[in-house]
Amino acid sequence: MRSIILNEITKTWSYRAFQVIILLHFTLFFLVVLATSRMDITIPGFSTETLYQFPNIWEFFPWIASWFNLLLAILIIVMTGNEYAFRTFRQHVVDGLSRIQLLSGKGFLILMVAVYSVLMVLLFSLVFGFIFSSDYSDGAFVKKTYILLVYFVQAIAYMSAGFCLAVLFRNTALPIVLFILYRLIIEPVIRLFFPPEARLYFPMKVISNLTPMPEFLSIASGNQPGTNGVDTLSFREMGLMAEDLPVYLNLLLALGYTAIFISLAYLLLRKQNL
Amino acid sequence: MEKVLDIQNLSKNYGGITAVKNLSLEVGPGHVFGILGPNGSGKTTTLAVITGVIAPDAGSFRWFGREHYAGMRKTIGSLIEVPNFYHYLDLVRNLSIVARIKNKPLNDIERVLRLMNLWDRRKSRFDTLSLGMKQRLAFSAVLLGDPSVLVLDEPANGLDPEGIAEMRDIILQEKKKQKTIILASHILDEVEKVCTHVTILKNGQSIAQGRVHELLAADDPVIVSCGESGRLQEEIVRAGLSESIEKNGKELIIILKKGMEAKDINEFAFSKGIVLDHLETRKKSLESQFLELVK
Repeated sequence: MRSIILNEITKTWSYRAFQVIILLHFTLFFLVVLATSRMDITIPGFSTETLYQFPNIWEFFPWIASWFNLLLAILIIVMTGNEYAFRTFRQHVVDGLSRIQLLSGKGFLILMVAVYSVLMVLLFSLVFGFIFSSDYSDGAFVKKTYILLVYFVQAIAYMSAGFCLAVLFRNTALPIVLFILYRLIIEPVIRLFFPPEARLYFPMKVISNLTPMPEFLSIASGNQPGTNGVDTLSFREMGLMAEDLPVYLNLLLALGYTAIFISLAYLLLRKQNL
Repeated sequence: MEKVLDIQNLSKNYGGITAVKNLSLEVGPGHVFGILGPNGSGKTTTLAVITGVIAPDAGSFRWFGREHYAGMRKTIGSLIEVPNFYHYLDLVRNLSIVARIKNKPLNDIERVLRLMNLWDRRKSRFDTLSLGMKQRLAFSAVLLGDPSVLVLDEPANGLDPEGIAEMRDIILQEKKKQKTIILASHILDEVEKVCTHVTILKNGQSIAQGRVHELLAADDPVIVSCGESGRLQEEIVRAGLSESIEKNGKELIIILKKGMEAKDINEFAFSKGIVLDHLETRKKSLESQFLELVK
């Protein structure tokens, strides 16, 4: 296992596209949280500063970070697509790796990127949290930190979906296009044909709902006439939109989907003429 | 003596196309086993199956007398088709990945790169190498950890004549070390110079198999000339010594029955009171033998 991990590090560390995507991910997140902190929105019961205070920041930053999970999924697609483009999966098998070891290598990469992403959110949350908070009590500091774990699962789930697509199509470009289309267009359209309660069980919906828009932010935006918040509330009142699933159920479903993506990728790897 | 590789009734189909059909062969220790065949005859499919890249539809194979498993391949140096490396990594990093997979020491990388004259390019990215250098790098990876068995699929691919000669020398050096080498190639001259055993594939089936010199010796024509060639022809036919005999002026071209040699004809002629002016066995090349078989 140690050699598989060292090999994944060797492959990724020296790869320019990997460096660029990680840097882009880090920079975009930093710019967004920095820019938002400079915005001065004050409405009754809400101010921008509230978002950056403990414990709200543990909810707000993972939500912002979830916007950029697409980049992490693309990263995994690129790294997996390379294995097919360079035929290195095939060579690794010839050299003595089993299919499950090929899978373990990419599984480690997914974990490594998810850990990086969580550490990034943790770092920025601590820095901004300590700058903007005045209440450092245990209750305020620790409350809602579990959302970091939820975000960790979310990042893994997105990347597993990307990995599965890359194994299915054995290249880079098509899985990236399909992933984006499925995430942004195909699944949302398909969901429209199902009753509101059923829509909550679709894979991308389950995964994105892991880090929903923070409650206080939805309510605050709901106070503004003509915003999505009002639409959301009225859709719910009209029975067109179901209540979100409980976090634990969403988490279990996301883990289930992750297991399906990884198992499917393994079955494909086993069948493929690499 | 334990077999290094034992293939029994191996078959592989792609859709409706048969790539390999009921192939059986045995490779012993120290053998240099050539797999010959025209394009599409099943050479690469056979090697892909025995190196675990694809699963056979029927039949079985055993390495070192044991059921095949992935870790077993770490003791075998294999080059299948084209060199497969990370284009953006340098030579040392690429080989370090292979060394870790095979559990071989990283300090062996210098030895194999020097052996293949690539040490000066060790910091170069793979995608900056010429085709010949890429092939040499692939061979470096094969030799990592000094494996006792080599599986080589067209190792001279992309090499210039000098490179082909160098590659042949390296294979011969490995042969001297008593290594077992399984070599698929369409360069028949190379196979003839290097291999001890050979199988010839056609449409996924083995149509001839055995030691190279035996395969080449079969059907070698014996050329005889003498003053009484007509009488000698009659005597040979009467005695039933030949498969076929053809008269061409003073010369007789004889395909002998199995087990007979040219010297037997000399003794037979002498016993009949005929003195031969000339006697020779015209050796077939592997190429002519191959072309006859695959016709």
